Amino acid sequence: MEALISLVQRNSKVFRRDKTQVFFSLLSVIIVIVLYAVFLQKMQVDAIERITVATPELITMVNEWLVAGLLSMIAVTTTLGAYGIAIKDQETKAQADFLTAPLSRATIQMSYVLNALIIGSIFSFIALIGCEIFIVATGGKLLSLGHFVQVLGILFLSVLLASVFNLFLSLFVSTQNAFSTLGTIVGTVLGFLCGVYVPLGALPGFAQNLIMYFPISHTTVLLRNTFMESSITNVFKDVPASYVEDYKINFGIVYELQGNILSTSTSIIVIVGTILVLAIVSILLFKRKYK
Amino acid sequence: MTFAIKVENLCKQYGVHNAVNGISFTVEQGTLFAFLGANGAGKSTTIEILCTLLKKSSGNVTINGFKLDVSNDNADIRKSIGVVFQQSLLDTRLTVRENILHRGRTYGLSKTQLAENYQFVSSYLHLDDIEKQKYGTLSGGQKRRADIARALIHRPTILFLDEPTTGLDPQTRQFVWQAIKQLQQETNMTVFLTTHYMEEAAVAHQVIVLKQGKIVAQGTPDALKTKYAYDSMALVFNNNIDGVKWLEDHEISYTVKQEIYTIRLDSTLQALLLLKKAEPLIASFEVIKGTMDDVFLHIMAEEGVA
Repeated sequence: MEALISLVQRNSKVFRRDKTQVFFSLLSVIIVIVLYAVFLQKMQVDAIERITVATPELITMVNEWLVAGLLSMIAVTTTLGAYGIAIKDQETKAQADFLTAPLSRATIQMSYVLNALIIGSIFSFIALIGCEIFIVATGGKLLSLGHFVQVLGILFLSVLLASVFNLFLSLFVSTQNAFSTLGTIVGTVLGFLCGVYVPLGALPGFAQNLIMYFPISHTTVLLRNTFMESSITNVFKDVPASYVEDYKINFGIVYELQGNILSTSTSIIVIVGTILVLAIVSILLFKRKYK
Repeated sequence: MTFAIKVENLCKQYGVHNAVNGISFTVEQGTLFAFLGANGAGKSTTIEILCTLLKKSSGNVTINGFKLDVSNDNADIRKSIGVVFQQSLLDTRLTVRENILHRGRTYGLSKTQLAENYQFVSSYLHLDDIEKQKYGTLSGGQKRRADIARALIHRPTILFLDEPTTGLDPQTRQFVWQAIKQLQQETNMTVFLTTHYMEEAAVAHQVIVLKQGKIVAQGTPDALKTKYAYDSMALVFNNNIDGVKWLEDHEISYTVKQEIYTIRLDSTLQALLLLKKAEPLIASFEVIKGTMDDVFLHIMAEEGVA
């Protein structure tokens, strides 16, 4: 156990001290913020103004929509960045150094997974605090204690899912060049697959289905629901329920799959189920790789 | 006699290629053992097997009394060995102290034991001046000191050194070797060395030369020098015509380069006899002892490589 803790601490220090690595793991999130400032916010506000009057609460609601997307993306990009250490250790043969100590490959691999979980959790928490400050600074309100705890729970699930998802991907990569390419692909595709770059309703049917079947996007949905719950009620208080439902579907606040609105528990089942499946598959892949 | 390492008929195959082809040898505890060979001879493969990093295809390996088992992590062996790799493998953004202590903790040492061990290796390798520096900012020699300290932090009884001084300046090489020798003598540690510097192999207790996965020569450096190297004498004559005539009259074969005539000696003492006879003709001379370089080149040439 002492050995595992030491390895995790080492991995964490190595990641945190590589400022370039930290920056690049946050790059896609920075891009989203820029896109939001340039046109995403305006696009959404314009769309909502067609069905109701623009109020300061509307801006808060749209900001919350962005924040939910950002938080789900950060979990993925930071945990992926953390796995960069595993690939580097593999390529530079630093793992060989660890393997001359009484450590199993499984312990070393576990240290990378735990490090990804810790890095993802720390960055997600810091981002959550930053997002709350942003919402308050732009005229919104802090999350209630209940909602805050709920968000923390979703973030934990989100980081867990991202850690296992990225573990699975990293098992197919053995060089830093390939890993860098993987990072670029994930960073680019993630914004679309979480419905952050472009709202769900603006995409063609097959793309909408693709997003809804992408497990990580369910963490975005859960976060949007929690963040936006009270502001949606306030903004759309005089608007017919069908309009509100349309807004929620178009902006990926709820998923409608084959005519049915997916419940929160369905999203949680999708997330937990994916975590379990990917964990089992990753263990099998790992065993096969080092047979 | 206690063996730190015992290797019996060790083989490693990659497909149809035999990287290591049935080698057997023993390394006595507390000795310095040199493992030589040209690039691709199978040295690194052998060392990786002994360090539990690579699975053997067949044969038996016993290290510190523990049998190498391909089906497990060989924790007992790993606890008793330290490895200095060819490349620098520590973390560039961590300080020397952080690097060594993080790795030390992977051996399950108590905090007190780890602190004691750190003090011990630090005193031998003079880490005080570099311990707070980031590893990535160190010079090549400083990095090597840190690498060796990392390999010794759990106080192993066998130290594997895979070309530890390659690329270091002569002063740093000397420092590294002094530290290793002092440690070996004071702690009765076994040192298993691969190197391309033959003068480093010359101080070993036992030397093995590997070629194409097979042992082609083994013995003490003196025994190998006796068998494969020879002493020689370089002569500069007052008058080259007279000198050459004298050599030919005495049927002594020679080579000449830049007016320096080199003759092969059967023994160092033979130089005395020749010098007495040819004294009036000689302007200067040098008796050259056979070296491990000669041994290595001779063996490689004999086997058709050099």
